[in-house]
Amino acid sequence: MEAPDSASSEASPKIAVKVDLSVTGTESLMKACYWFSVDFVCEIHKTEETKAEVVLRPRKPASPAELASRREDFISSVLDFALRERIEAKTASIRDLLMAKALSEAGILEDEPQGVFGDAVEESKTDGMFKILGNA
Amino acid sequence: MARTFFPFENLTPSPASFSLLPFRFTRLNGKELIVNEAGEFLIAPNGTVQQLADQRLDTGSELYRDLKAKQIVFDEASSPLLDQLATKIRSKFDQINGGTKLHIFVVTLRCEHSCHYCQVSRQTTSRGQYDMSTGTADRAIELMMESPSKEITLELQGGEPLLAFDTIQYIVPRAKEAAKANGKHLSIVVTSNLACVTDEILTYFRDEGVKASTSLDGPAFLHNKNRPRPGNNSYEKAIEGIERARAILGYQNVAALMTTTAASLGHVKEIIDEYVRREFHSVFLRPISPYGFAIKTKQSTGYEMDRFLDFYKEGLAHILEINRKGYRLSETYTKIVLTKILTPHGTGYVDLQSPAGEALNVLVYNYNGDVFASDESRMLAEMNDLTFRLGNVHRDSRRSIFLSEPALKMFQVACTQSLAGCSDCAFQAYCGADPVYHHATQGDMYGHRPTSGFCKRNMEVIRHLFSLIQENDPETMRILWSWIAGQTEKREPSLCA
Repeated sequence: MEAPDSASSEASPKIAVKVDLSVTGTESLMKACYWFSVDFVCEIHKTEETKAEVVLRPRKPASPAELASRREDFISSVLDFALRERIEAKTASIRDLLMAKALSEAGILEDEPQGVFGDAVEESKTDGMFKILGNA
Repeated sequence: MARTFFPFENLTPSPASFSLLPFRFTRLNGKELIVNEAGEFLIAPNGTVQQLADQRLDTGSELYRDLKAKQIVFDEASSPLLDQLATKIRSKFDQINGGTKLHIFVVTLRCEHSCHYCQVSRQTTSRGQYDMSTGTADRAIELMMESPSKEITLELQGGEPLLAFDTIQYIVPRAKEAAKANGKHLSIVVTSNLACVTDEILTYFRDEGVKASTSLDGPAFLHNKNRPRPGNNSYEKAIEGIERARAILGYQNVAALMTTTAASLGHVKEIIDEYVRREFHSVFLRPISPYGFAIKTKQSTGYEMDRFLDFYKEGLAHILEINRKGYRLSETYTKIVLTKILTPHGTGYVDLQSPAGEALNVLVYNYNGDVFASDESRMLAEMNDLTFRLGNVHRDSRRSIFLSEPALKMFQVACTQSLAGCSDCAFQAYCGADPVYHHATQGDMYGHRPTSGFCKRNMEVIRHLFSLIQENDPETMRILWSWIAGQTEKREPSLCA
């Protein structure tokens, strides 16, 4: 996330944020915009291969101070969503394993989730639950 | 809140590396609230999540031990405990085990009240064609017994069900007989305004083990304003009915619910004090449901969710103060949410579930045999919106009801785990999906979380409760724990009484 580009002007108040997509992915921008869509019309413009600009236009009149504050909120929100993406990437496979294990009694799994399985006793049972040993 | 003591593996040397378990987080009053997949949480210093993502947390630190104890991270010493985490997750989803438990029979649409917020298009008291027929009742009982659940609750509702007391007398013994034949435990509750209750009716309920739930919106000026009836004596009738019912059924078998209208908003303390005066030990600060007749009369009853949240917070503070003075009074929604936050268990409360409780936890059998996914679905139908009509008792089986197009459409958007705005929400483990609410208020079952009243209410209530937990005032926490100790909240019977 780069330094403030423009905050607002008399004619067309808006928040503009330049983003380095190698730091925060498009999904994080989209998620932040989703929540800010209550108060702003959100546009995302890809300016270069790894650069984008987000423009937020307030739906109701807002003072420059309010816009500056909301700009900070938006940047924090994007960074938090980027952090969530990183956590998700690291934990998605074990989440699948945990949910599969938790709900395995229901017999609703179409495919065995990827991961490390063990527990010879459980595996020997036709209706046995697999054991989770760790990430894939 | 940290763990009470370290597990054994914490006494071994610090591990060289660690792995992350799935978790979600949000910011809370200068700290980070980290919640694992089973809803266990840690309020950690700012920057903790960044350290976790960067894998640069000191594995010898107390923070690391807390994170490991809460199963937010694991290492070679704690990996065998991953099965335990799966078991905890399964415990949280226990409400989906066994199938539909709550079955609501709308025995009549007739009612002698004309409440502003009533979700039902009430019919006049003389129109018998709006009563459930014996044939419909028989078939509804059959369908109810086809539910795999061993625990069944039958709720008799209206309109005003006591206006069709003969229908109730027909249903109760047959339902009990069917439950016995099918090896099920049956609980029966009647949801009534009690205005026309008699000792004979109450004696019948006592003998048959039927509990009563009624409406009490607050002191007389408010109750009578919200719930008009001929004679403008709804409050007097309700109080008389409550006292009479308590005398015959016993205190513990008579419950009351309130609905918050615009007129209620400035009077939360008076409402709560009325519940204390009437010797109730719980009060449910419920927002008005945006369905049915409530929408038609929105000008007189509606309000913004922000105003309700102020009402709720002021009310909760007042209730805590009443407890501090020695009178035991709980707030029902707080109790439900805290049970999800502070205990390993889910709750049976239908309106805050993922997968959503509609159909999976509750089915409604209308007087004419139509089957709906929830009480709110039926109310939409009274407004000619049949989106959630899953079938009819006379032509459908349980299987065809659950595989109906409306049911399948609803199930597709019934899990917070896969909904935009919910999938990465830190409060996901404590919240729910509500396709019916979002269809009614946004015209879209999926729902748009940033503008959703449901989302706003739950996010703010959960955040408020976490703030209380973070403050960790011993007396407040003692009171909150006393509300949830040993209890699993069931769905509060009904919306209209």
